[in-house]
Amino acid sequence: MRRVLPVAGLVLALLWLVVPLAPVLVWAGAERWSYPDLLPGAWGVTGWRDAAAAGLPFALLRSLALGLAVAAVATPLGVMTGRVLGWRLTGRPRLVVAALLVPLVLPPFAVAMGLDVVLIRVGLPELVSVVLLLSVVAIPYTAYTSATAFARTSPELEAQARALGATPRQARLRVVLPAVRGSILVAALLAFLVGWSDYVVTLLVGGGQLVTAPVLLGAAASGSGNDAAVAAMALATLVPPVALVTVAALRVRSSGRTAADRLPESVPPEERMR
Amino acid sequence: MTSRGAGGAAPGIVAITVVAGTGMAAVVATSVGLMPLYGEPAPSLDGWRSAAPDLVAGIGESLLIAVPATVLAALVGFLLATLMLGGGRAAAVLRLACLAVLAVPHLVGATSVSLLLGDGGVGARLAARAGGDGWPALVGGSWPVATVLELAWKESAFVALVVLAAVAPGHRMRMQVAAGLGARPVQRLVRVLLPTAAPAVGAASLVTLVYAIGSYEVAWLLGRAVPEPLPVLAFRLFGSIELTDRPAAAAAAVTGSVLALCVAVPALAALPRLRALSSGGAP
Repeated sequence: MRRVLPVAGLVLALLWLVVPLAPVLVWAGAERWSYPDLLPGAWGVTGWRDAAAAGLPFALLRSLALGLAVAAVATPLGVMTGRVLGWRLTGRPRLVVAALLVPLVLPPFAVAMGLDVVLIRVGLPELVSVVLLLSVVAIPYTAYTSATAFARTSPELEAQARALGATPRQARLRVVLPAVRGSILVAALLAFLVGWSDYVVTLLVGGGQLVTAPVLLGAAASGSGNDAAVAAMALATLVPPVALVTVAALRVRSSGRTAADRLPESVPPEERMR
Repeated sequence: MTSRGAGGAAPGIVAITVVAGTGMAAVVATSVGLMPLYGEPAPSLDGWRSAAPDLVAGIGESLLIAVPATVLAALVGFLLATLMLGGGRAAAVLRLACLAVLAVPHLVGATSVSLLLGDGGVGARLAARAGGDGWPALVGGSWPVATVLELAWKESAFVALVVLAAVAPGHRMRMQVAAGLGARPVQRLVRVLLPTAAPAVGAASLVTLVYAIGSYEVAWLLGRAVPEPLPVLAFRLFGSIELTDRPAAAAAAVTGSVLALCVAVPALAALPRLRALSSGGAP
């Protein structure tokens, strides 16, 4: 009984996590799937062909560009803020934390709706506006991730580099940044995911001109009736972020294991686990 | 500590303040007629008046979606974290699955859930094969079941990872000490694990609740047509060909923001007390 409960729990947990995505996986390879059959009557790539004809490849490229642009803007801003928070360089950390909570609390659609009216008057290009707004949405994630990394890294590191003759810029770029590189990559990944996954801000501020993969999927899912093409679009939108996160997680896990292996035997198992 | 170097936070904080501040100021001004798309500004509450009945229904629908989704996500997320705390290869697989779910865009999740729970979906096929009387309208039906389930599914992975990160350090030692003091498994769960995990569960649930209140695409794709939750109502009015609907759309957006703030501010104030209770200290 003691072993059955965790195994049953694990199976139920995996079912909860995986089953909601199963229809997309099956439909993406279905040529014909009549009701009420439990499996497709014929397999094929018609859905992929229809999705490609609807503009999926270019939509994926636009999503990639948007994700990279958001990561490029939000990561440095978040790292700078995270350094201040992690090393407690400010006398008013609550003010910084409160400002970082704003994009998490305010619904993005409300901010986007207001900005849209302003941006029409200012004449800022839609793409720039979308990148700007999504970067602001991503900054809390990049800042908190960086803050955790800086909190684990001693500020003395920078001071020692300065004492050895490094300029402030050299100390940051050649000593501090390599020490927190892993977390900065995770922060950039989170910012990329914000840009890649967004639907409502891109649609509202982009005015329908910026057709990313989620925007294309939203249009198809709400009215095309072509389930195979919709599933192909969904799967194509799903794979890149999931693959990136999986690779990042495996890399972090393997580097963590290597670091744990380097600890001396005298270190207690609990400390090694930490 | 010194405030030297604190200026590094300025660009990020300024970006957030300018963008969020401008956006919210503009949407409030639009709702009271001070920023019309065309013509001269004319202060008016017409937008609020015309949207009032829908706003009340929208608040109800938003909470009807967000509260159950958050409760379910917190419950399942905590259970997932408990399983992962056991360690081993199974926990690693579960953690990877949670990370993968976290990376899935909500729109993709909503699309897949519509193919799972909608008419003609996998659930309906299974029910038909089993000789059922018909499949309930879980997508677009009289209750936002599919919307709640999609949000709970994806956010449960988020809650699980937050709780795991907060509780994992020192978890085994705490459990060993409790067992050494004679605590049974249930007592260890209730008296040790739950209080330790409570602040993380609370914080993750708050993020989930606020996100669910402001979420558009899941309710738009899976929810019923009437009443609409606030984001769906705002977006529909915003895209209306009637320019007079713009102030009403802005009123819905402002209401959604106020609702999120009303939930977040008291909860943020209560979180340190929860943390203090779990650590046995004074608030």
